[in-house]
Amino acid sequence: MATKKLRRAKLSQELCERLSRYQITTCQDFLCLSLLELMKVTGESYRNVQKLLRKVSLACAPKMQTAYEMKVRRSINPSAAFLPTSLHSLDKVLHGGIPCGSLTELTSPPGCGKTQFCITMSVLATLPVSMGGLDGAVIYIDTESAFSAERLIEIAGNRFPTYFDSDEKLFCMTRSIHLYRELTCDSVLKRIKSLEEEIISKKIKLIIIDSVASVVRKEFDTKLQGNLAERSNFLARGASLLKYVAEEFSIPVILTNQITTSLSNGLAIPADLVSPAHDLSLSEVTGASGSGKKESACVTAALGNTWSHSVNTRLILQYHDLLTRQIVIAKSPVAPFSTFFYTVEKSGLVLQDGKNLSNLPWEGTNPALQTIQVRNTALGNALLKTTDETPGDTPSP
Amino acid sequence: MQRDVGSLPLSPALRARLLAAGFQTAQELLETGPCGLSKEIGISREEALEALQVVRQECAGDAAKTAGGSGSTRKCTALELLEEEQTQGFIITFCSALDNILGGGVQLTKITEICGAPGVGKTQLCMQLAVDVQIPECFGGVAGEAVFIDTEGSFMVDRAADIATACVRHCQLIAEAHQEEDHLQALETFSLESILSHIYYFRCRDYIELLAQVYLLPDFLSEHSKVRLVVIDGIAFPFRHDFEDLSLRTRLLNGLAQQLIIIANDHKSAVVLTNQMTTRFGQNQSMLVPALGESWGHAATVRLIFHWDNTQRLATLYKSPSQKESTIPYNITPQGFRDVQPPPVTQNAEGTEMNPRKRPRREEEK
Repeated sequence: MATKKLRRAKLSQELCERLSRYQITTCQDFLCLSLLELMKVTGESYRNVQKLLRKVSLACAPKMQTAYEMKVRRSINPSAAFLPTSLHSLDKVLHGGIPCGSLTELTSPPGCGKTQFCITMSVLATLPVSMGGLDGAVIYIDTESAFSAERLIEIAGNRFPTYFDSDEKLFCMTRSIHLYRELTCDSVLKRIKSLEEEIISKKIKLIIIDSVASVVRKEFDTKLQGNLAERSNFLARGASLLKYVAEEFSIPVILTNQITTSLSNGLAIPADLVSPAHDLSLSEVTGASGSGKKESACVTAALGNTWSHSVNTRLILQYHDLLTRQIVIAKSPVAPFSTFFYTVEKSGLVLQDGKNLSNLPWEGTNPALQTIQVRNTALGNALLKTTDETPGDTPSP
Repeated sequence: MQRDVGSLPLSPALRARLLAAGFQTAQELLETGPCGLSKEIGISREEALEALQVVRQECAGDAAKTAGGSGSTRKCTALELLEEEQTQGFIITFCSALDNILGGGVQLTKITEICGAPGVGKTQLCMQLAVDVQIPECFGGVAGEAVFIDTEGSFMVDRAADIATACVRHCQLIAEAHQEEDHLQALETFSLESILSHIYYFRCRDYIELLAQVYLLPDFLSEHSKVRLVVIDGIAFPFRHDFEDLSLRTRLLNGLAQQLIIIANDHKSAVVLTNQMTTRFGQNQSMLVPALGESWGHAATVRLIFHWDNTQRLATLYKSPSQKESTIPYNITPQGFRDVQPPPVTQNAEGTEMNPRKRPRREEEK
């Protein structure tokens, strides 16, 4: 929209030629100038310049819709609003599942089940609508080379044995998952830019990027000057492109993120559990540093504060004890803060009923600083706990 | 009448010609007339006529100003302003603690900025306000409509529908308790469909669309004169990437702030902006501060900062011309933005001025 040429904004031919002599060819150039500059450049009077501004703005401005129209549109096609995750309690709290048209982020320590979750979602997206899927293809952008096609077939076969009863169906499903291996930030950005055309040509219904953090953290060392700003720039640009694509085609976008150590006063974790030398640049120490308190570290989602603003939903996977793990809904515009227990099995993620906490409607914590339990902490807790563990425990450090 | 030709809002080429021909004051132009002007300068008669009309309008405006009339600048005494302020409505937030520290709610004709960490409830409050502005006057609202400009894509229709349903139910409870004619009448038009149809939603994807939309907003508001609230959810997001030239950004933001102030005053509506927080690195510590820089802090009249204290959400009034700086806790419930504890239910015997901020049914909602 910003790069729309002025010719298409219904300005007269001679005016466009005159403006191009001053290097003003797009709507963006036009709207960034002040009124006096515009008067000088167009040679028109004050009133006429205001009229021109209005014309150019009309060419760029978005269309108005009332909230009622939006609701009606959604209710006509309710299945298109969410992608159910087949974890029923999670879907219920999320009012249907992963929302279409917005960014969902999945954060967890390594080995907790992010890629398993992504592979499961890929299978679900290819299922027909009657089974809760989106009946479409999937774009899977893999930056860690963690995708395993064999695991994909295993999950599909074990989770939906009645549907995938023949090899034919399995191959059909695998054909609709398009895998791209991107290993640098630039190539990821280029791939995101090319998404629009691919979505139309291949009828894509789900985009997964696994993971954003690995490629960004490889290239931007935030200890160097200026890199933090550049990194935020890259992330914000990627986020806005993805949001545009998600909203335009009304499809869900799932991104995965890693963890980092955040130093903050006041949290009583023993600092030797997690090395404080990790990612000092993302420290968010509040208060005077000379307070004399021992600074302790806690593990939170990586990529910083600005990224936490850009994603619309944040799900955190973390360790609970030796076998079970937890999904935490840390940030969601429709769901309250809730936790669910699950294990990873042959058929992917399986929720454990009976131990879930979804009636904490008014609590929550800062999704950018929500602490995440890593494997060491979970093992430590498991060894200390007695045999009857109370289900109401949220992992507090 | 003695106005200098160089200061008239004519096109620069025409101005240069007039000055070259030796015209100095507006009076001379008016005396010459269109035919004489066209012959002397070498422009067509229509152009000369147009120029003279502009000059005449300018001089009329000047005369009105010197004579003390209203014109384009607003002049009034502080007493008139006091009367205006006292009769002005507030947009309530359904959280009585927040309304109290704001002095009654979100004020009309002022810009309120809400800064906060991600996920703390800024968009929830904006959606709550877009619903609350439509509360009929007999229930204590301003009976207006809302414009919602979304730059981040965080507006969820289903959530807005939930908030609207809870608000309608709340008003229904009040009407049942007090059985008054105008309450019941107002409820007939105050329903979920009507609330949602009066939230005008614009989705701006980058800062150019946002600028264009704000240029077009005065015309839109003249057509929809009942609008009393303009929400821009995420004024920081489009300005925080793709900007190498920070001075251009400051200039655009200042221009935006000025236009919003004009809109707020001319159309008697409240403008609510949400801002992000950014990390500022001090010497050996870092702090979270509102984004967009120091100069942006001057744009808003009232500034609220939302933050966390472990699991409790807090709102701090950071900047206000009339209220004291204070911090209160609040909650986000399935019904929307609410207080932490139920405020004491007072039996208001007169019942004519019902305060919709008090919610008597809270305990049963678990």
